[in-house]
Amino acid sequence: MILGMTVITVSILVNQITKDTFKKNNPNLDVVIGAKGSPLQLILSSIHHIDIPTGNINYKNAKKIMKHPAIKFGVPISLGDNFQNFRIVGTDKSFFKLYNAKLKLGSIWDKPMQSVIGSNVANFTHLKIDKFFVGSHGLVDTGDVHSEQPYKVVGILKKTGTILDNLIITNLDSVWSLHSNEDLSLKNNNNLEVTALLLKYKNKTSAFSFPRLINKNTNMQAASPNLEISKLFKITGEAHKVIDYLSMLIISLSFAGILFTLLNNINERKYDIAILRTLGFTKIKIFSITLIEGMTISFLGSFIGLLFGGIIYKTIEFFSLLGKNIVTNQFDFIYELLTMWFVILIISFLACLLPCLKVYKQNIRNTLLNS
Amino acid sequence: MLICENLSFSIDGQKLFSNIDFKIKKEKDLLITGPSGIGKTTLLSILCGLQQPTAGNIFYNDICLYNLAENKIDEFRGNQLGIVFQNFNLINTFTIKQNLQLANTALDLKDNDHMYDLLQRVGLADKSHVTVSKLSIGEKQRVAIARAFIGKPKWVFCDEPTSSLDDNNTDMIIQLIKEECQRYKSSLILITHDKRIQSLLNFNEILELGE
Repeated sequence: MILGMTVITVSILVNQITKDTFKKNNPNLDVVIGAKGSPLQLILSSIHHIDIPTGNINYKNAKKIMKHPAIKFGVPISLGDNFQNFRIVGTDKSFFKLYNAKLKLGSIWDKPMQSVIGSNVANFTHLKIDKFFVGSHGLVDTGDVHSEQPYKVVGILKKTGTILDNLIITNLDSVWSLHSNEDLSLKNNNNLEVTALLLKYKNKTSAFSFPRLINKNTNMQAASPNLEISKLFKITGEAHKVIDYLSMLIISLSFAGILFTLLNNINERKYDIAILRTLGFTKIKIFSITLIEGMTISFLGSFIGLLFGGIIYKTIEFFSLLGKNIVTNQFDFIYELLTMWFVILIISFLACLLPCLKVYKQNIRNTLLNS
Repeated sequence: MLICENLSFSIDGQKLFSNIDFKIKKEKDLLITGPSGIGKTTLLSILCGLQQPTAGNIFYNDICLYNLAENKIDEFRGNQLGIVFQNFNLINTFTIKQNLQLANTALDLKDNDHMYDLLQRVGLADKSHVTVSKLSIGEKQRVAIARAFIGKPKWVFCDEPTSSLDDNNTDMIIQLIKEECQRYKSSLILITHDKRIQSLLNFNEILELGE
């Protein structure tokens, strides 16, 4: 019971929380433009900040797209560096509006190499206002740092419950300035690049024509966040199904375990039960005692399983890089967990009825004589 | 009053006994005797509501025992009857105190003083924590007697209470049962084939099975 419940709890938590996290991380963006490659990779890297980007796109071309009549507004982002595994995102100030972000302390930048950090970044890294830090190359901490140009923290955001909490946000100029030392072509404004463009349509009907326009006529790709994430869940959903079936099997075996344990206990104690009847314990009382015994086993077993599941999930979350991107202040999974627990207790109740009925129908005199 | 009317019992179509009639007034005693295998223990089981008779009725005052639902019979047995079984029917893995507490629980009795008084009178107060399996036969018999009187029963049934006891213990156990019956004004229905008992106790009624 404990094992089955643990597996199913972890499965539900992982499934539900990742779904919620993916949903919450997307601030209703309609389309993302990036370098050609895997559309899922583009979405994961530019919205959920999990994967590596597909490449860069020309900023001049990106600006042209932002002015397209189908686009309501767009936000460019430039990725490439991190600080202690927290991604540094070069963007403009409209990025904050996407997530309804509010400052807890300080202000938004007004010049390059100033940064605003998310609440989780502040908690994990202990960075404070006016403190400096040095970004390192790549999206995971490799130790290869841009020590010549440190960032200054000028603002700390309030918790949003989104991926923004795990980001360090700076302006595009900071990112270009850092990388122009390595790539001299960036000194030329025409060669400036961004990683992706986060866009919203004026009208949802553009979802049919606009991506085709980009994918056919440019060296960029347009990917829909909702479409790509639902594809992802379709794939992972199958794996979750297998895990769920496995946990159902384990739980069914534990129901059988409870049933046979109770039947065995009753067989071993049938003489004691007959004695109780001679003392005045009614059939119903004995029935209830047996039922309570069985239900206590399944209640405690399933509760411990729930607890273990929660602990294992938290441990996975703590040790994984992905875990840092997961928003844990969501409790939608509780309903699903409680429903599952309730169903398991109902089935346990039904499994306990058989031994209880056996006790109910016991012939006291024969039992006492045969003992 | 306990009234037994035309009581018969058959197993697999074979009559064990038939047409047994007797009446026992309040606080009077009955000795049921007869050779082994005649159905004395079966008769006790029937009188205690543990075994349905093939025919006949048993009345405890105005209550017809086998007209009651099975749960009510269980309740009646717990509240009104005290039974000392031939093989004691104690839970061997429990202590003396736990065995008596079970009887207390069955009757929803919260007061343990009565239980300790009984243990004192049967001479087992200082052994109340001892597991039943470690007791001698005489001691087990005394625990069984104490348990039978927990609910201050109106009718006490004893099945061969002295069958495996020596003369000294037999005398002691019979005196104990008699005293407790007098204390609680219980009627005693004693089943035995032990001839020693008739010389130790004067019964108001004697029922000889197999005659």
